[in-house]
Amino acid sequence: MKNLVIETIAISKIYEGVVPVKAVDAVDLQIEDNEFTAIVGPSGSGKTTLLNMIGGLDRPTSGSVKVNGRDLTGLSENQLIDFRLNHIGFVFQSYNLIPVLNAKENTEFIMLLQNIEKKVRDERVEKLLNEVGLGDKMKSKPSQLSGGQQQRVAVARALASKPDFVLADEPTANLDSHSTSNLLDIMARLNEEEGTTFVFSTHDQRVIDRAKRVITLVDGKIESDIRK
Amino acid sequence: MILKIAWRNIWRNKIRSLVVIIAIALGLWAGTFASGFYEGMIGQKINDVIENEYSHFQFHHKKFRDELAIKEVIENGEEIREKLNSEEKVVGSSGRVIATAMIASANKSGGIKAVGVLPSDEAVVTQLNDKIVEGEYFEGIKRNPILISKKIADDYHLDVKNKLVLTLQDVDGEIISASFRVAGIYKSNNGMFDEMNVFVQRSDLQNIVNLQPSEFHEIAVLLTEHSLAEQYAKKYADLYPNLEVLPWLDLAVGMRYMVEASGTFAYIFVGIILVALLFSIVNTMLMAVMERTREIGMLKAVGLNRRKIFSMIMLETVFLSMIGAPLGLLIAYGFIERLGKVGFDLGSVGEAYSEMGFAAVIYPELGFETYLSITIMVFCMAFIAAIYPARKALKLNASEAIRKI
Repeated sequence: MKNLVIETIAISKIYEGVVPVKAVDAVDLQIEDNEFTAIVGPSGSGKTTLLNMIGGLDRPTSGSVKVNGRDLTGLSENQLIDFRLNHIGFVFQSYNLIPVLNAKENTEFIMLLQNIEKKVRDERVEKLLNEVGLGDKMKSKPSQLSGGQQQRVAVARALASKPDFVLADEPTANLDSHSTSNLLDIMARLNEEEGTTFVFSTHDQRVIDRAKRVITLVDGKIESDIRK
Repeated sequence: MILKIAWRNIWRNKIRSLVVIIAIALGLWAGTFASGFYEGMIGQKINDVIENEYSHFQFHHKKFRDELAIKEVIENGEEIREKLNSEEKVVGSSGRVIATAMIASANKSGGIKAVGVLPSDEAVVTQLNDKIVEGEYFEGIKRNPILISKKIADDYHLDVKNKLVLTLQDVDGEIISASFRVAGIYKSNNGMFDEMNVFVQRSDLQNIVNLQPSEFHEIAVLLTEHSLAEQYAKKYADLYPNLEVLPWLDLAVGMRYMVEASGTFAYIFVGIILVALLFSIVNTMLMAVMERTREIGMLKAVGLNRRKIFSMIMLETVFLSMIGAPLGLLIAYGFIERLGKVGFDLGSVGEAYSEMGFAAVIYPELGFETYLSITIMVFCMAFIAAIYPARKALKLNASEAIRKI
């Protein structure tokens, strides 16, 4: 039996305003180890909000989120930061690398925050950057890399901390088709060979086609959940 | 790593960082140099007040300074001088006879103070002989030689060997006139002093006003160190309770306040500049934080805790300040050291300064402890300047910040 990595229990998110908006509406979701899951849906369907709550970046208005059995809803902000550091890898739509650090330093950054010793860091950074095909770009700053290359560094950074799972919010949105295909190949291989759990939010049909499970959100609710 | 990121962050916008660094450097240069200038000016003023006018402490008859009456004399002047001159820390003492008088040349007349001195004693105590710019120090004139200032010489159209008449009262209240011939013309740093004082031989003045050779109006005492003045004045005040014995700080009007204020001037001046710089740094750092909203959001998302984000912004501010500050202090140090040797000539403004009793050429000086204190002030300012931008960074919501375009 596979390990349940993520579990949401009736989580809802309401954004208060002149007219309150219910972005996510009582979503129950279980994601197991080694899944390669795409959360899809039209703009405003609540994909990013759901992902943010799973990643501990946003707090649900009601319901709870558990990661490997630990309830995130009761954690303080500092505890959440620590939790994210040690358990969750993030890949963002706009790469969001640290512009003043090179590819090696960006990848190493999370491990430094985890106080991992230098020898281990160096070995892991080299392995990860080789895996994403950037072994020869270690010294390159983000401004010297293409969008696809930057996103591959972001994937390497997300994996550096050996997270329980990787959350990727529209990771291919800013990439051309060649870079998208390349990135998906890398993530699929990491999922197959290393057993890394990936959860994407996406509009991109190419990502949907490669996902093993597709969850469709409409108006903050799960409309369908298809395992391929 | 935080240190590395903070250091590299400040060079992301080189021009902006350089503008702030240069502003800090210029501000501190100006503030520090102005402080050095003021400290040098006050230092010179103190030296002038002591060396030219009051020495370290003076004896008077208790009523003399209020009334300037010729009969209010120190009767045992020579005995006091003998006692003083036996002190190890006493460089010299000068017994003076002082009379307010009318000076008259062929062109003009006016009020002055005639000071009767023993030339050899006065040379030790006030170096009056070194201030002679024309003529000789009480030499070259056989009878009633007088030293007048350059200012009086110009005002009264007098030259060396010219004759002038002093009219004054003797101890019995009789009006007496006596003619003097200019032996020398002196010039001190204090225009006001020069305007008022002429020097004659003590014995000449004692004869004119009918005083005994041991009767003085004033005994001025020069010590080896400025810091001993109050201690020695008190000691002699206790020894001679019937006389007024005061240190220079109490004799020179306003000097005590000026000296006390000079210690805080550097901090007030630099403090004002630092407050102005503080706002400029806050503005710059706030811009830097706002421009990096998404990046800071990402850092929070991936696990950079609040303490480290705060440290990062704090370090960036401290780096900016600590590059600019040593630069400014170093330039100021160079200026102060150089001008401390060659002097800073105030030019035409110097005349006005001289009228107020200050030197026209200032030799700036600043103690090491002031440089150290300014450095600490800059560090504190950088810390304070970083607080608001750092708090702003802490308040960013990671999920919202990441989505921000």
